[in-house]
Amino acid sequence: MTVLLEVDDLTVGFPTEDGLVRAARGVSYQVSRGESVGIVGESGSGKSVTSLAVMGLLPRNARVSGSVRFLGEELLGRSDDQMSKVRGSRIAMVFQDTSTSLNPVYTIGAQIAEAVRAHNAVSQRQAMRRAVELLDVVGIPDPARRAGGYPHEMSGGMRQRVVIAIAMANDPELIIADEPTTALDVTVQAQVLEALAAARRETGAALILITHDLGVIAGHTDRVNVMYAGKLVETGAVDEIFYEPRMPYTLGLLGSLPRIDESGRRRLTPITGSPPSLIDLPPGCPFRPRCPKARDLCREAEPELTPAIGRRHLAACHFHAELASATAEEVFS
Amino acid sequence: MNPIISVRGLVKHFPVRSRGVLRRQIGDVHAVCGVDFDIYPHETLGLVGESGCGKTTTGRLLLNLLPATAGAVHYRGRDIVPLSRAQMRPLRREMQIVFQDPYASLDPQMTVHELVAEPLRVHGVYRRETVRDLLHTVGLEAGHGNRYAHEFSGGQRQRIGVARALALRPKVLVLDEPVSALDVSVQAGIVNLLEDLQDEFGLSYLFISHDLAVVRHVADRVAVMYLGRIVEIAPVEDLFVRAAHPYTQALISAIPLPDPRKERSRQRIILAGDVPSPVDPPSGCRFRTRCPKFAGQLSDGERRRCAEEAPALTDNGEGHLTACHYAEAMALVQGGADQRGPVTLGTGISAATAADQRR
Repeated sequence: MTVLLEVDDLTVGFPTEDGLVRAARGVSYQVSRGESVGIVGESGSGKSVTSLAVMGLLPRNARVSGSVRFLGEELLGRSDDQMSKVRGSRIAMVFQDTSTSLNPVYTIGAQIAEAVRAHNAVSQRQAMRRAVELLDVVGIPDPARRAGGYPHEMSGGMRQRVVIAIAMANDPELIIADEPTTALDVTVQAQVLEALAAARRETGAALILITHDLGVIAGHTDRVNVMYAGKLVETGAVDEIFYEPRMPYTLGLLGSLPRIDESGRRRLTPITGSPPSLIDLPPGCPFRPRCPKARDLCREAEPELTPAIGRRHLAACHFHAELASATAEEVFS
Repeated sequence: MNPIISVRGLVKHFPVRSRGVLRRQIGDVHAVCGVDFDIYPHETLGLVGESGCGKTTTGRLLLNLLPATAGAVHYRGRDIVPLSRAQMRPLRREMQIVFQDPYASLDPQMTVHELVAEPLRVHGVYRRETVRDLLHTVGLEAGHGNRYAHEFSGGQRQRIGVARALALRPKVLVLDEPVSALDVSVQAGIVNLLEDLQDEFGLSYLFISHDLAVVRHVADRVAVMYLGRIVEIAPVEDLFVRAAHPYTQALISAIPLPDPRKERSRQRIILAGDVPSPVDPPSGCRFRTRCPKFAGQLSDGERRRCAEEAPALTDNGEGHLTACHYAEAMALVQGGADQRGPVTLGTGISAATAADQRR
């Protein structure tokens, strides 16, 4: 499979009065054509910052280093003009907040048609017809009438699906969706995720899906990157991450989740404490203060991502081998 | 056993006023429309539904924090709706609330000790040791008492909120989305704490949440709300394994499972459209405008009944109540494909999904 996106040693810091916030620390991963990669982590893990860096959307004061190559071309350090040629057309973005993605003064039909015409030599009328088709694909009821409406007349879930329709019109090679369903109710979330799946079927685009919701990750990705304190701490195929996690943090996250497919009152296993400050990281492994498996080595050296099972499932834990067939209850209680 | 809380025909309308000087009343938001349920001692009733369904308003009405438009809330057999503030005061000790947002619900100018002491002082039962014991009960250290709320993480703040609610030794706690603002690794600790406290103090909970996974974990019985009405109420296992209302079924099927293999083989009922406005709810069954059954399975005559006659909550004989003229139990989680009932997909996008699954 051809590599579409290659992120290498990406490091992002934000200078503040209290010191440098180390939001991303040497993040490396790849996305192949047509593949769906999930990035999961809790608040402040650096999952959004890395994708904002990929799109060149970080604030000016951010200190960025490393490399982001899209089909072999370096994106880091490009001017805003050069980046906007890539954004939208080749890399489409879907954010949690739709108000920044849609123009309030144009009808949604016109906004989709504009994207259609940017890539195809078609008349305004044909572009409008295509816009209505796309609204139908993303599941907007009564698409012909809705095309004449404005963003403020729609609910959040519908607006998110319009954003996805625009992304489809651009026929991108990569869609980056950053918490696309976080503020939405579950039935609306299902509509939006279905629209995203439809967009991938139509365009064959690869997807980077950033979310804190492990359920969303399980159903919509091929591979998963788990982030903690600005680093990738585990990466592998989706089944490996969910059924054979090799990093205590991943195991802990899964153990702390209540599930609708589980009866009886299984005691949840919370992870004690909270994530470290990104200004003042502890020496060694950033998860050590919360990790029941921690010992001296964990205080001394920060573990690098190393192969855990096979060459594609990597974990950043000195003792990942000890997690083989361990349950969250055994490790955390 | 007699219920500790018994809600009958509870209604709450909020006036909608015109803009400008006159601010004439031009309509009503029908937030809660004739809700009935009981909560038994030492029981957790989960109240679930999506934004705007009226679950938070129901929680406020239960504590008489909002005046009800109609209906009754019996606490230990006594209707509290007509009570004045002064009459409510002794009862407040027994009925408390924990709010969703641990950032907004704690006064930033008070130390943790003062925050927890406040309800004790209001009721004239303050003792220093009581506060220390409470902090210990919710898993905070005595030394935390001198600090301010902003110095704590979200999970610890929610523990402070729980300590405040527990201070007066209540019998009933309304928990309004108590873990929704927290990261999952922290959320589990609060859920465990709430379960422990219930056992220790014999509390009854109304657990309001949009998260069905958390509700399945904590609740004994679950009530599902849609547009101001309860559409289904059942013992927790029964609700998840034999959901009978099309809305409950859609809700359960929409929840992503943190399990890739199950996710790949799952059928999803995707609802068309959005929730209608509570200012002008649909006639008859309020769910019919989005109901996959109404759209795909019913005859014209059956549909007429949905449009004309609001379905009443009806007991199937085993304490499982459903408000649907054409209720039919369906297993959506647990069990293989053979146990699944017929799933009818809605229109539009879901048709595309079905086609895709066949491929």
